[in-house]
Amino acid sequence: MKFLIRRLGFLLVALWAALTINFFIPRLMPGNPAEAMMAKFHGHVNPSAIKALEVAFGVNTHASLLSEYFSYLNNTVHLNFGVSVSYFPLPVTSVISKALPWSLGLVGLTTILGFILGTGIGALAAWRRGGVLDSVLPPTFIVVSAFPYFWVGLLSIWLFSLTLNWFPLLGAYNETSTPAWNWPFIADVLWHAVLPASTILITSIGGWILTMRNNMITVVAEDYVKMARAKGLSPKRILWQYAGRNALLPNLTGFAMSLGFVISGAILVEYVYNYPGVGFMLLQAVENEDYPLMQALFLLITVAVLVAIFISDIATATLDPRTRSR
Amino acid sequence: MKALHQLKKALSGSWKFLRRDKKALVGSIILFVLLLITAFPTWFTPDDPAAEIYTPGAGLSWSHILGTTSFGQDVFSQVMAGTRQSVMIALVVGFFCTLLSVAVGVTAAYKGGIIDDVLSLLTDVILVIPTFPLIIVLAAYAKSAGFWLMVFVLVATGWSYGARQLRVQALSLRNRDYLLAAKARGESSWYVIVVELLPPMTSLIVANFLGAALYAVLAESALQFVGLGNINTESWGTMLYWAQNNEALATGLPLWALAPGVAIAVLGSALALLNYAFDEIANPALRPVSGRKARKVRS
Amino acid sequence: MKFKAKTGLFASALTLVASMATMIVPGGIGVTSAGAASQVPLNLANEQGALWSCSFNPFIPTSSPYSVGLTYETLDFVDALNNAAVTPWLASSYAWSNGNKTLTFTIRQGVKWSDGTPFTAGDVVYTFDLLKKNPSLDVNAVWSVLSSVSAQGTDQVVMTFSSSAVPYFFYIAGQVPIVSQSVWSKISNPTTNAIANPVGTGGYIMNKCTPQNIQWKANPNYWQKGKAVTQVVNMPAFLSNNTCNEYLATGQSQWGSQFIPNIDSYYVKKSPGNSYWFPPVANVALFPNLDVAPLNDVAVREAISLGLDRSSISKIGEYGYEPAASQTGIVAPTFSSWSSSSAASMVGSGYNVAKAKSVLEADGYKMDSKGFFAKNGKELALDLSTNGGYSDWVASAQVMGQQLAKVGINITVQTPAANTFYSNLYAGKYQLAYNAEGGGPTPFYEMRQWLYSKNSAPIGTAASSNWERYSNPSVDALLNQYGSTTSSATQHSIVNKLENVMVTQFPVIPVLEEVDWFQYNSKDFTGFPSKTNPYAQPGLYNEPDWGYVLDNLKPLK
Repeated sequence: MKFLIRRLGFLLVALWAALTINFFIPRLMPGNPAEAMMAKFHGHVNPSAIKALEVAFGVNTHASLLSEYFSYLNNTVHLNFGVSVSYFPLPVTSVISKALPWSLGLVGLTTILGFILGTGIGALAAWRRGGVLDSVLPPTFIVVSAFPYFWVGLLSIWLFSLTLNWFPLLGAYNETSTPAWNWPFIADVLWHAVLPASTILITSIGGWILTMRNNMITVVAEDYVKMARAKGLSPKRILWQYAGRNALLPNLTGFAMSLGFVISGAILVEYVYNYPGVGFMLLQAVENEDYPLMQALFLLITVAVLVAIFISDIATATLDPRTRSR
Repeated sequence: MKALHQLKKALSGSWKFLRRDKKALVGSIILFVLLLITAFPTWFTPDDPAAEIYTPGAGLSWSHILGTTSFGQDVFSQVMAGTRQSVMIALVVGFFCTLLSVAVGVTAAYKGGIIDDVLSLLTDVILVIPTFPLIIVLAAYAKSAGFWLMVFVLVATGWSYGARQLRVQALSLRNRDYLLAAKARGESSWYVIVVELLPPMTSLIVANFLGAALYAVLAESALQFVGLGNINTESWGTMLYWAQNNEALATGLPLWALAPGVAIAVLGSALALLNYAFDEIANPALRPVSGRKARKVRS
Repeated sequence: MKFKAKTGLFASALTLVASMATMIVPGGIGVTSAGAASQVPLNLANEQGALWSCSFNPFIPTSSPYSVGLTYETLDFVDALNNAAVTPWLASSYAWSNGNKTLTFTIRQGVKWSDGTPFTAGDVVYTFDLLKKNPSLDVNAVWSVLSSVSAQGTDQVVMTFSSSAVPYFFYIAGQVPIVSQSVWSKISNPTTNAIANPVGTGGYIMNKCTPQNIQWKANPNYWQKGKAVTQVVNMPAFLSNNTCNEYLATGQSQWGSQFIPNIDSYYVKKSPGNSYWFPPVANVALFPNLDVAPLNDVAVREAISLGLDRSSISKIGEYGYEPAASQTGIVAPTFSSWSSSSAASMVGSGYNVAKAKSVLEADGYKMDSKGFFAKNGKELALDLSTNGGYSDWVASAQVMGQQLAKVGINITVQTPAANTFYSNLYAGKYQLAYNAEGGGPTPFYEMRQWLYSKNSAPIGTAASSNWERYSNPSVDALLNQYGSTTSSATQHSIVNKLENVMVTQFPVIPVLEEVDWFQYNSKDFTGFPSKTNPYAQPGLYNEPDWGYVLDNLKPLK
């Protein structure tokens, strides 16, 4: 319990840091780009949205920096992020809510899948040291992890969509269909999701496999594993219930840290495949200089990562009794 | 004297290991070739990479090994010319990142106490905040980022992983006998850190440098690909930007989009392979196991 | 055991995905339309890079293209591709009087709004009053020249002008969408209201809007009998050019306004009936900041104009889609009837590097050791900026930089993002800027935007046009004179005089001709504008033109 409370505290500090960075960036950048954007809005947006934008971007600074900061924090808590430039006159929150489900689906599923598959394969590779899996996998995945995410995506598009025509070109579903909870639509979504999901999987699974393998190797050398073998326990049981479980723990914390990498990869994959998720929306917002949307998305992605980390902390606390006693 | 000897021992041990290890060998050769291209780009570019005077959209031929772009530029020359930017940013960002990681990680481990708590908190917070969206936001406000601004953005977001790793290793070394002996002798903290503490950490520091360099190459090319870099320069990421904007894949010019990606992958792989090799030096348990030993472990 | 389970899970997941892939019919799911299910729906391809906000306010520029012309109509239709030919629309006729300071419209009878209420002259008066009360809605600034708008009799509207401004007919009659008084008088905030369900007189009514697709259906009570025959029109939201172009090329969409690289191999060859036409409408030009040395020197501007190989810029930067422009400023072939032979002969081919160099040398410039011209120790070095978001303009700018380097001018290309580029442009904080004005149905509109001194503003204050800060009282007088006449002969002679200004003073340097992006499939639909029948501008972003075109399309199956 104490462990969890400490972690929660830490994550709140991180959240505060992200909010503060978000507040200062537009003010520190040369040329005050926000002014040009604000000029577009006057006369067209309701006053409370304008006020929210003013404090977020430091335009029309009649107030002191400190009071602006507190108004900004207050607005953030109330989810008042102002109005989007490129989706004018829609508020930012309603724009983001359109993209969120797609990212959650794509990134969430591939992360879980990658984690399960990666740790499984990594554990197996470590168990059979010197075997085929162990000698082939590390160099292969080292090389694959050095590939830029977006390039793997481009390659897949060229090979599977354009040349072989096995998969649709881009997007989450066919443009003219209306989203609905019926089988044809869901099937269409799944068919469109195969390439983007595979791209994320291929480029991120290497990390899971290698970390798990490295952890397992260290664990397998430990005394209690030798003891278990001496006692005559079946190798499979030792692999999964003893060594695997203990090797898994650092992987879980590693999961937290590498989630950041998965997110960045997902942003690029969404861009390349025009998958209408949060990452793609961020890059479109950048192209359209839609600063309110951009900043809100950055905060959203940060919060999502922090929440995921907290969940993995809960999992660690549950699985590792040592943390509970600390 | 002793420190120098230690450093020499560490380096020769690494050298022996690297020579035997295939991964490191491959990585080093690739890196050497790329450094050569960076230093002497004109040896490798048959045509002026920016000149738009050839037939646009030409296929492969002896005069254009990788074809031409839709603007009539030679793809091969562009790939060669782009090497410089990527290698430079890898080296520069790698250097500054490592500097910062060592400074923060080792200081935190050595000083302990409040300083350690504060520095660790800082490191963990930066580590946890997703950096790519942050980089995007920074680059968006900075418009077409110049080289040094890009370096600043990448270093500011990339140092924390190394700092954490180095801190852990420094902590484990901190209480070794020879360090306590040096302190008892009355040596200053600086001496202890630089001369006694750092040398055994060399392989991990080098691994960090390579890791940071890899991060820089991938992040920089990603930013250029989405158009946040300087689209008037020649670099691999910018080539990908133009290829994407002119729908190279769909209009029959796939090499324009694929070649720069291969180049990035090659540089990245070299850095990754070397990184892994140095990781193995730092942690002997990870080193590859020969067949006979393996059978022993399995039974 | 667990491992087997894992492989089992993985294998079953893989088979599930594979089997679904085989079950899905490639080609996607079409929209089913109730009623006229036998007719092919018209699918449009107009990439905006975002999902739809489902806002249809006809006065807000970000949402007006989706309602003006198809749902809301204007008083007359003015054809920009046919020298401003006028076709009556909601006004059955019009007349100028009182020295061209009074304009009287006779409003068409028998027209109904899509909610069933009758359309009257009162709606027209109300619309113009709405613009007067809410200046932010008056995007065409019609009230800068109008002094009053009032109803007369049962079916006439009389407009009086504070100053003679005949060319404003295009904006007043051809651009202002007429809205229903009964609907809009109930709207509390017309400047911010998103107008989810627009009520108009036009041929198409917005049927269904989701973030992914806007669907219109034909107005069954449309006042033009025999028009608006296509029953269902879809405009899907495309997030990027790639998907949109693919959609268009494979024939899933029959009308597009896309920039397609390598259009012959990538679009035309892919489906039977794929065709395109890019009519030139305005100039994309270099705007030299006339307040900044050395651009205030006419020799430098002339050298720049002579140093540009425009057809090469077009070929490399725009795949040859945008024809080379002329220094006279006349867009050919759209406005060729306005071309002055004396001005055209002065320009010649427009590209002459040797002449460019000699012009600079005669002005006192000497070539320095780096291959660039210099005078009094100062090298001729200039910044050329353009909108970084338009990759074809960036490519063109890069070509221009390379060409001018050969003349001996050291050009640095800057590509700031849109907002920064435009705010610097308007404020005059640039040296050379590559941009385009809006233009209009005759060359006068663009030239007035370029050259009328009152459009401009001092450096540091935003100017709506005339960004180069050109000021010449005799040119202002010519422009005002054009504004007060309806005589075609007078108009032509004034434009000829302006062309002479263009080729002797080089206030603006036209580089390429801006075109309307237009692709269409002639197999499924007929009635599109074409070179032989340029009855309207064909771009899906031209309002009210594309609504007008939509009314005229006929499905072939």
